[in-house]
Amino acid sequence: MFGPVPDTAVAEKRRSLVDFLKQVTLFEDLSRRDLRRLARIVHERDYHDSEYICQEGQPGAALFVVRRGLVEVVRRGSSSTEVPLAMLEPPASFEESAATGTESVRWFSARARGPVSLLALGKSDLDALSVNFPPLANKVLMKLAGIMAIRFQILLDAQYLKESGEHPEATP
Amino acid sequence: MTLADTSSRAGTVFKSLAAAAGVVLGAYLVWGLRSLIVPVAVGGLVAYICRPVVARLERSRVPRGVAIALLLFVFVLGALFIVNRIRAVMPSDTGALELRIRALYTLNERYQALMGLDRSLTRGNRIYRWVYGDLDPLVDRVRQLLALTPEEHAQFVASRPRGARGAPAAGPDRLVEYHRANVDTLEQRARTALAEPATRSTVRPPGAPPPTSVGQTPLAALGDIVSTWIISPLVFLFLLRDTGEIKRGLLRAVPNRLFEPALNVLADLDRALGDYMRGLFLECCLLGVTVGLFLTIIGVPLRWTIAIGIFTGASNVVPYMGFAAALLSGLAYALLAEDIRPLLPMVSSENFAIWVIVAVALAELLKNVVYEPVVLGGAVNLHPLVVVIGVLGGATLFGPVGMLLAIPTITVVKVLVSSTARQLKAYGLI
Repeated sequence: MFGPVPDTAVAEKRRSLVDFLKQVTLFEDLSRRDLRRLARIVHERDYHDSEYICQEGQPGAALFVVRRGLVEVVRRGSSSTEVPLAMLEPPASFEESAATGTESVRWFSARARGPVSLLALGKSDLDALSVNFPPLANKVLMKLAGIMAIRFQILLDAQYLKESGEHPEATP
Repeated sequence: MTLADTSSRAGTVFKSLAAAAGVVLGAYLVWGLRSLIVPVAVGGLVAYICRPVVARLERSRVPRGVAIALLLFVFVLGALFIVNRIRAVMPSDTGALELRIRALYTLNERYQALMGLDRSLTRGNRIYRWVYGDLDPLVDRVRQLLALTPEEHAQFVASRPRGARGAPAAGPDRLVEYHRANVDTLEQRARTALAEPATRSTVRPPGAPPPTSVGQTPLAALGDIVSTWIISPLVFLFLLRDTGEIKRGLLRAVPNRLFEPALNVLADLDRALGDYMRGLFLECCLLGVTVGLFLTIIGVPLRWTIAIGIFTGASNVVPYMGFAAALLSGLAYALLAEDIRPLLPMVSSENFAIWVIVAVALAELLKNVVYEPVVLGGAVNLHPLVVVIGVLGGATLFGPVGMLLAIPTITVVKVLVSSTARQLKAYGLI
């Protein structure tokens, strides 16, 4: 009766959200305080099986983090059939470029494989974070830039390997 | 026609009917709760303005609750300071009577001089012959407002200093002379009014009791206002305490395929409202400073220019109201001022009112030509006709505060419609 006051369901939910955010590569450098702040602005979305999360050719407005379930990344092929590119599982993130506001249209689609829970961080949320809490936004943006640079490097390597496979005599 | 077609058509009809019913219900609720809309909107707007301050405090490691409490403390201090300042400059009962006597005397003198009126107050110069039909009733109304009732007259006479054995004080008492002149003028106007058609003049003879209005007592009216406006600070506190729950709650209700467009629409709304608030605040400050500066140049003392500048800046939140406030307060000062010290040699007490009009018109011109395009920029970008109709519509529906909220409301609706259409198109939903 005189023990500690039990946590409310909201506090419990927020703590579990903070714990999850800590596992995400994008947010791994953030302090507990920053993560709590971030947990207040991310949006939790649930998708059913085969539902599109984002579609090719549309503009992006948010980055997504897979919290539960599997997300399939696909791209339309030459005959309009969807070519699977990757399968994402927690705590993977995708659509980072949308959060940085590059205003480019998506080159892939993401679809739920079974029931999926995602966290979304909008570009507008990141903008608001930059105004209200610049150091926190700066950490997130730096990490975003790092992740995008690594992905670009992987893409370049893959392209190089592909070209060198096609023309082996041209490689040094 | 297949079964699927029939089902689809029935679904469309049902959705249309549901949407129409929703619109009707929404309109009914808005109309039914219209007395609460304005306090809620005012509380919301003030909270919106204060959000960056709370965020700044939070950034400096002040907990959000403490930051809000600090803000409230500063508000209460500010309100107490303003109330004290107002109480300090408010004249006593006798002071207010003296002020009204002086104002009425100056009004009569300046009106007679400007219109070239004779002693009967019925014949004047050419200007008077042109405008007397409209101007006389207006001036008579102002005279009625300023004239003393029999009780006030008795109070004024009792307040005058007396010599030995209750005899009137030796030497001329300027205010008593003013009062006598006022009574003479009012009697003269009353005689004229009796000789004229009833529509021409609305003057009341001196000493006649003022018309009483039948309605609520002031206490009951105050109770009504308090009970309606009590919601405003509550909305303010709840919105300021919110750390994004409302936005997330709204977005939670949105279907997944509309999530990103809705996110963008909310961001557009936030940006438009923020730009409008910041631009308006800066414009109000600039207009207040300009009016104060111009009035100082033509000879209004600094303490009055500061008061008029603040009043003008605050009134400017309603379109065109800043100009009206500056003009009315400047002219009111011109009516009461007995000695002025202008920095310009051509300004004199005779043409002072004209210089007040020139100064206010110049400030308004500066606002329209320089401040509005530079400071407010494209934040609002509304056609002037829309602004006028919006302000008048707001005034008709919700009174003075409706005027205050008309432009932010129109801005929000405009951005909501245009941004929604743009996003739906970008996401291939229409």
